[in-house]
Amino acid sequence: MPTVREHPETLNWVGKSIRRIEDPKFLRGRGNYIDDYSVPNMLEVAIVRSTEPHARIVSIDTSAAEALPGVAAVVTGAAAAEVTDPMPDFGPSPDKHVWRCLAVDKVRYVGEGVAAVAAESRAIAEDAADLVHVEYEPLPPVVDWHDALAEGAPLIHEALGSNVPFHRSFVFGDVEDDYAEADVVVSDVLYWGRSGGQPLETVGAVADYDLGSGMMTIHVNSLTFTSFLFMLAGTLKVPSNKLDMHPHPAGGSFGAKFWEVKTAAIAGMMSKVTGRPVKFMQDRLDNIANGDHHGSDRRYEVSLAALRDGTMLSMKVKVVDNYGAYIQFGVGHHGNSLAQAVGPYRMRSIAYDVTAVLTNKCQQGAYRGFGSEVGNWVLERMVDLMATELDMDPVEIRRKNFIQPDQFPYFIPTGNCYDSGNYEGVLDKTLELADYHGWRRRQAEMRAEGRLVGIGICTCQERSVFSATEFWFWFDQPVGVTSSPESVTLDIDAMGAVTATLYSNASWGNSPETMVAQFAGEELGVDPSEVNVVYAGSNQGLPATGPGGSRFTIMVSGAVEGAANRIKAKAAKIAAHLLEANEDDLEWIDGGFAVRGSPDRRKDLGEIALQAHLFKHSLPDEIDSGLEASFVHDHPYTTLPNADRTDLGVFYPFVGHASHVAVVEVDPDTGKVEFLDYTAVHDCGTCVNPRSVGGQVIGGTVQGLGSTLFEEFVYDGDGVLKTPSFAEYLLPSALDSPALKVGHQETPSPYTPYGIKGGGEAGRMMAPSAICAAIDDAVGIRVRRLPATPERVLDMIEAAED
Amino acid sequence: MKSPPFEYKRAEGAEEAAALLNELGSDARILAGGQSLLPLMNLRLASPAFLVDISRAGDLKFLHIDNGSSGASPLHVGAAATQRDVEMSAHTLRVAPILAEAIANAGQVPVRHRGTVVGSIAHADPSAEVPAAFLAQGGSVIAQSLGGRRVIPSEDFFDGVFSTVLEEVELVASVRVDEWPEGSGHGFRELSVTAESWPVAIAAALIHITDGEVDRASVVLGGVGSTPLWRPEAEAILMGSDAGAEAIEAAAEAAAAGLEPPSDTFGSGAYRKKMARVLTRRALADAAERAGAAERAGGKQ
Amino acid sequence: MNTSSHEISLTVNGRAVEATVESRLSLADFLRRELGLVGTHLGCEQGACGACTVLVDGRSVRSCIMLAVQADECELRTVESLAPGLAMHPLQDAFHKHQALQCGFCTPGMLLRCLELIEENPDITDEEAREGISSNSCRCTGYQYIVDAVVEAAEQMRQ
Repeated sequence: MPTVREHPETLNWVGKSIRRIEDPKFLRGRGNYIDDYSVPNMLEVAIVRSTEPHARIVSIDTSAAEALPGVAAVVTGAAAAEVTDPMPDFGPSPDKHVWRCLAVDKVRYVGEGVAAVAAESRAIAEDAADLVHVEYEPLPPVVDWHDALAEGAPLIHEALGSNVPFHRSFVFGDVEDDYAEADVVVSDVLYWGRSGGQPLETVGAVADYDLGSGMMTIHVNSLTFTSFLFMLAGTLKVPSNKLDMHPHPAGGSFGAKFWEVKTAAIAGMMSKVTGRPVKFMQDRLDNIANGDHHGSDRRYEVSLAALRDGTMLSMKVKVVDNYGAYIQFGVGHHGNSLAQAVGPYRMRSIAYDVTAVLTNKCQQGAYRGFGSEVGNWVLERMVDLMATELDMDPVEIRRKNFIQPDQFPYFIPTGNCYDSGNYEGVLDKTLELADYHGWRRRQAEMRAEGRLVGIGICTCQERSVFSATEFWFWFDQPVGVTSSPESVTLDIDAMGAVTATLYSNASWGNSPETMVAQFAGEELGVDPSEVNVVYAGSNQGLPATGPGGSRFTIMVSGAVEGAANRIKAKAAKIAAHLLEANEDDLEWIDGGFAVRGSPDRRKDLGEIALQAHLFKHSLPDEIDSGLEASFVHDHPYTTLPNADRTDLGVFYPFVGHASHVAVVEVDPDTGKVEFLDYTAVHDCGTCVNPRSVGGQVIGGTVQGLGSTLFEEFVYDGDGVLKTPSFAEYLLPSALDSPALKVGHQETPSPYTPYGIKGGGEAGRMMAPSAICAAIDDAVGIRVRRLPATPERVLDMIEAAED
Repeated sequence: MKSPPFEYKRAEGAEEAAALLNELGSDARILAGGQSLLPLMNLRLASPAFLVDISRAGDLKFLHIDNGSSGASPLHVGAAATQRDVEMSAHTLRVAPILAEAIANAGQVPVRHRGTVVGSIAHADPSAEVPAAFLAQGGSVIAQSLGGRRVIPSEDFFDGVFSTVLEEVELVASVRVDEWPEGSGHGFRELSVTAESWPVAIAAALIHITDGEVDRASVVLGGVGSTPLWRPEAEAILMGSDAGAEAIEAAAEAAAAGLEPPSDTFGSGAYRKKMARVLTRRALADAAERAGAAERAGGKQ
Repeated sequence: MNTSSHEISLTVNGRAVEATVESRLSLADFLRRELGLVGTHLGCEQGACGACTVLVDGRSVRSCIMLAVQADECELRTVESLAPGLAMHPLQDAFHKHQALQCGFCTPGMLLRCLELIEENPDITDEEAREGISSNSCRCTGYQYIVDAVVEAAEQMRQ
């Protein structure tokens, strides 16, 4: 167990909704996004995308494209395979479902790249791409999970011998005993449709390969996972110490730029081929069809066992996940589900059977929740079903099963630890803020007028700060890494001004600079608005993982704390010398050291810094010049899975909680859902900047609303992508989004600096459950398939009438 | 997503535009607001060799009420008049409020700042708002060619998906929207999956009531066929009725009868057919209420 | 393939600009690539998302689906015009205060659309602001803080 921290009672900067440090540049249109970055002599790339869902590539004629004035190179997949190795793949048996930056031999989904063109401008590159003639020999497409599993199904990857790259049955606890003891078992079949982050900015990279030095420099708005960049170096066949990545702010990610590596690989490959700097900026068509970041696409058979009094005992989950043509992150998405598999409830056991299938769709990636949002939705669907079965109030069945505040740290059957919580506190706050009982009264009146008004509530977990072990417990042998570090360097210049250097691609709509500045302000007694935050290139980098799995704020808080402590240790020596005092008699107060009991005898950090920088020879010999320190903050609480994987260890231990109440009205004739009210109360421990947390909650809720009601990457039965652009893939507009009432409760984590828990995936992990429960309540029949489009809801209403 | 190359030509007037179309042949397209055409070109779903820009043609940038010889005063909309200008105009609110309502539902404001009413009609998207409203209220299309102008009644103009009876060498110079007499009311309803997405289905309706009885009606559906669909069967049911709930329900049923709408990701054909009935009912209820109110107001004078 | 170039003269953020542009060059690419005004962003290039919104003759327009040549003789405003000096525009200040942005990518287009809304309706309400900004997608904020910022900026600008 990690050390239980004592959190300071008063904080100067943590907890204040200060203005964000990153905003002025964005507000002025000076964000320095990747597409704003250009270098002289730069080429631009366009991709020839497959028009076929599944086909052999018979031939590719590039001659007309190459002849077009302004075209520098046309590179087919086969040619690219001569200068690159396969793409980094964290999945099981990557050699059996080889993934390359451009397809070789055959294409596996509509939109997969078959050739890349580099030209003097993007427009010319697209003109040339249109002139590349690809001859395909169509193969039968496999789109549906069921067809992929059928005997004799066409194979997506022949080397794999089936379309199932992974299957495993986990049993955590005495599932069968618990089912035998249960009075009631409810079961259901549920479908979660494929949606995705679709940030307004696509992924881009500017690569410049220097033939003289062998350096590959790539500017990029993706790849937060900087500790793993050596894998990209491998793909590009450059030594790992000759790859230097420079981060640019991402214009939104939501997971989609966590590790979108193909864009950088293609840019790097084309720079190597042409000997010139190359920009590859995906357009929206590339991003939707070929961006490697579609979300979960799952079918569940699930049951829940309980006693007559509503005590929930156990759950059996059988899930098939349609991963698409490749499986870059393995089934890490299910590790996320298992981190909070029993939600906030005292369930004793769970069986989890997961089958990954490959089909002719674009592969999955990361989307806000990384699969755990689906687990939340399924669990909450089942809790509601059990409440109906037992004729219990949906609030009361939850309250009855909550893990109690005195039970923390609490280990769930899968092995993960929940650090702290007060779930009833959140629930009560939510009911009050939502005026839940008032709405129940109003609902009765509105129903009497014939209106379909429904109220839905959910109580969900938000696990935060993944440990890398979640990527290897799928295998029998430990295969990999055990931490996911984050680093920072703090430098105090001679004037006492603070610069913080970050080592990951941290800016993607979260507030990394504000967080770091607030922590530096807290630790060093400076005003956060005066902290300068910069980003290092990876080649000069310390270990870093970046945002993802709601980890960054916590991890960087520990890094800042550690670096600040090192600075203070050196500063104390200098102060002791200057004050002619014993170091042990000094205390850190208000941004400086003072002699205990004599507050007037003090040296501020600025005075100390001046001495440290300029007066080395006036100081004791062992003190060298300068005042800077780095700190690598490793994952604070990870334990390893056991050998038979009946206990997965602790891998996602800082667990927030939230309760949402949605009030909807359904149009009985059209099936359209309108919001009458929406309330969200979150507990992510200590809020560093409450306004920012609120912004994450609201934005995440609206994304959850999109996944629930209309967002979906639709492939028809023939494998044709029916939603290739923003005309078909729908984003929620302001008019589709409710005005939220947002509340916070703060139950600190005992294990993190200040007691912070992650909150970045908030909202999207809860909204689908609350909204579906509200629709159920309005129309009297259960939502089983997302998105619940107007047509599907109308079908439900008509089925309820029959 | 960059447009394929093309040559841009600017026409200062309708006749110059017609002359350019005549000269350039089938490779030329008219560019007015470009809010439908330029996205298609960026997507490389359209690749005309020439664009003839009429957005600054002085003789096409107008919006006024004609003084008709027969007493009717149609709204006359030039091909360069933007949707936003037409939407906000007092002329439109007086003569064709259904058109203002349709435009308000069509695309976002910044798109309506460039997009034109005539361009939307000429583009002939069967799911678009403006063609449906235009056809419902009725009027005519004035087509310009090198040889002169001809007038095409609105009910004859649309002949397929993105297709009209316009000849290759013709452009739409303007449209006239007929004025309906006092005592008329309109209804315009559409259903879309999100507030800003393309409609699943549209119903546009007008009725006129004299002495409590419907003596003129028009019902048009969008999004359920290859063109905006005029539904005379529904109109026949309304004629002579009191435009009460029963008549409206029967008319809505008739409007949806026999439809075989296309399917897409927003909704199946079967759903569209149901929505055609629902939206017709709602649009007619709005129209009846407004017509009744108008008639009552007229009676008091 | 046919292509042609055209001389245009226009005013961009108060400055006269003369340029020769290819027919197919979009106004957004003209601003970004020819004038270096990269605050105008491209999100979808089909007029759906609004990230490229600029003001043309005072009206909000999708610059990805307007040709540069069509901007001839027009007066353009981009986000770069809002605060040419050290002080931010009241609307930018309200966005900053209310955290009406996260990743910042929709922000330039959103600011210009909001400026238009406030100029048209100085007493704008929450509901009117919400309806007005439905023209522009924001994937981060869920819009609520933008509504807050617009209403407060309108108040500030009335004074």
